[in-house]
Amino acid sequence: MRFIRLLPQIQGMALEALWAYKLRSLFVVLGVAMGIASLTLIVTAVDGANRKTLEIVEMFGPDAAFVLGGNLKKRAVGMRTLTLSHEDARRIRQSLPGAYLVVPMRAKGGQTIRFRNKNYQDVFVVGATENYATVWNWPLQEGRDIRLEDERTGARVALLGSKPSRELFGDESPVGKTVFVSGIPFQVVGLLSYRGMTGGGGDIDNRIIIPLSTLTTRFNMDRKYFRALRVKFHEPSYMDAHTENLRSLLRHLHELPPDQDDDFTILTADEVLRFLSMFKGGLAVFLGVTATIAMLVGGFVLANLFTISVSERSEEIGLKRAMGAHRSAIMGQFLLEASLLTLAGGVLGLILGLGLGQLLSRLDILEIRFSWKVFAMAMGSALAVGLVFGLKPARHAANLDPIQALKGLD
Amino acid sequence: MAIRMRHIDRTFRQEPQQIGNGEDRGVDVLKDISLDIARGEFVALQGTSGSGKSTLLQLMGLLDQPSAGSYTLMGRDVAGLDDNARSDLRNCCLGFVFQSFYLIPYASALENVILPGLYSGTSRAELRSRGVSLLERVGLGDRMNFKPSRLSGGQQQRVAMARALVNEPDIILADEPTGQLDSTTSEEIMGLFHDVHALGKTIVLVTHDEIVAAGAGRIIHLEDGRIAD
Repeated sequence: MRFIRLLPQIQGMALEALWAYKLRSLFVVLGVAMGIASLTLIVTAVDGANRKTLEIVEMFGPDAAFVLGGNLKKRAVGMRTLTLSHEDARRIRQSLPGAYLVVPMRAKGGQTIRFRNKNYQDVFVVGATENYATVWNWPLQEGRDIRLEDERTGARVALLGSKPSRELFGDESPVGKTVFVSGIPFQVVGLLSYRGMTGGGGDIDNRIIIPLSTLTTRFNMDRKYFRALRVKFHEPSYMDAHTENLRSLLRHLHELPPDQDDDFTILTADEVLRFLSMFKGGLAVFLGVTATIAMLVGGFVLANLFTISVSERSEEIGLKRAMGAHRSAIMGQFLLEASLLTLAGGVLGLILGLGLGQLLSRLDILEIRFSWKVFAMAMGSALAVGLVFGLKPARHAANLDPIQALKGLD
Repeated sequence: MAIRMRHIDRTFRQEPQQIGNGEDRGVDVLKDISLDIARGEFVALQGTSGSGKSTLLQLMGLLDQPSAGSYTLMGRDVAGLDDNARSDLRNCCLGFVFQSFYLIPYASALENVILPGLYSGTSRAELRSRGVSLLERVGLGDRMNFKPSRLSGGQQQRVAMARALVNEPDIILADEPTGQLDSTTSEEIMGLFHDVHALGKTIVLVTHDEIVAAGAGRIIHLEDGRIAD
């Protein structure tokens, strides 16, 4: 095709014209950049949210339930949250079909850990029975998990989260060392690997795990009840049934009449997923609408400025036609000008979007993930805006009558 | 024969609202034009304004199409050629010079000169060397990179003449090329036309200036869309 053969020449002319009308070009680039920046932000944010969802679900485990005391959904005023007892845990272990690991836990926030003369404040202290790391699918970087005899004897041993370990020990191993939690000495027996999850309840790695019995006795807490319970099941494909069985059993143990709400909440991976996708859907819709509007605005800026450009440059168009330019060459030049500008806008928008994303990511507002998919989508949309909104002015230019165009009329 | 026209009519149809009664009435700008222009001729088209001389030049230049009649350009019947074919003929075989120069304002003199060559697919290097020698020939060798705004009217028309020659066409069509120039500059430009003519090119030039017309080998007078005499 002739146009393809002449492409280098036409491209040269397009670039010259873009440079000649700098201000106009800049407006188009900026207009499109805004749209692409929003688009980039959405796609990276949704990708980030997807990844985070997967991480959360994986961390939560598809084969586990997390039971919290109190009803989270119908949070009545003054409702007790300490409703789960050791008796409940024992009965679940004993008689809930499919359940193979039951770990009750309680926590106390805002504790200070000391190693030698170094203090690290505001650590979350979790009391749990044996197999804490296993029940949370949380690999140990080194050392061992909480054991049955630790719990039975109220031993002063601890699993250290990666955050306090880094703060107090740097790169050295904390295992075997003694740390003081609110003045009480504990021997570190294991180090939890880094999980890197933030948001909501703060930094998940900022914790120390000690036997539950130790927590209740040493910190003077209720010995009969605890706050939460992790249950792991065989056969994750029957999770719905497992959850229903668990619920019935707990209602029975708590002697709840049929008309009374649960005094506990069971969370499963499905539940977590539902909640997260609801949040994610809202985010995508909100940002999607914003980006679409921004892209349309960019497109209209382009169409508008190009229509003005065609009528201002009608002499140039008429002259080129008189000199033997085909209609396709004129149309090609204007479409090329439009798409070069929108592609430049695309690159700028991508940089802006990723920059903004980084910022939001750093402020923990959004999780951002760059991918070639984002790049392709940004460039593709930019090109589409250029071609779609540039088409009408370009066609108009190509169809100008050379004589009329030379007279400056159109 | 460079140009051969037989019984050419050109009728512009008026929009119904312009004549008010919805009747389909046309304005005959050219009526029954028959003419022959041989290769290497220098012809001036003369006539009062509204006589149809510019329309005739546009028809010769394939910028417009006749309502009736036949037109043979360089031995080739051009009736019924499509837009691309007519564009290609304009590109290869016709050079245009206009009253108001029509240079691209943001391009240098040299870039303006090589413009027609860009649409014929000639290599840039070849075009550059042709453009440089043409600009030297019209006396603008020292102003190749000047934008049109830094050139005088006479200089701009020289650039336009160099542009008309860059694809080495056989026929140069000029519409009032000296219309915006003072008499001294006019003479210089006409001198260039005679130089080009001396190279063997066919020149058709529209003018209302008697002195300019007098320099041509033949004058065709138009009156009310017809050839006089």
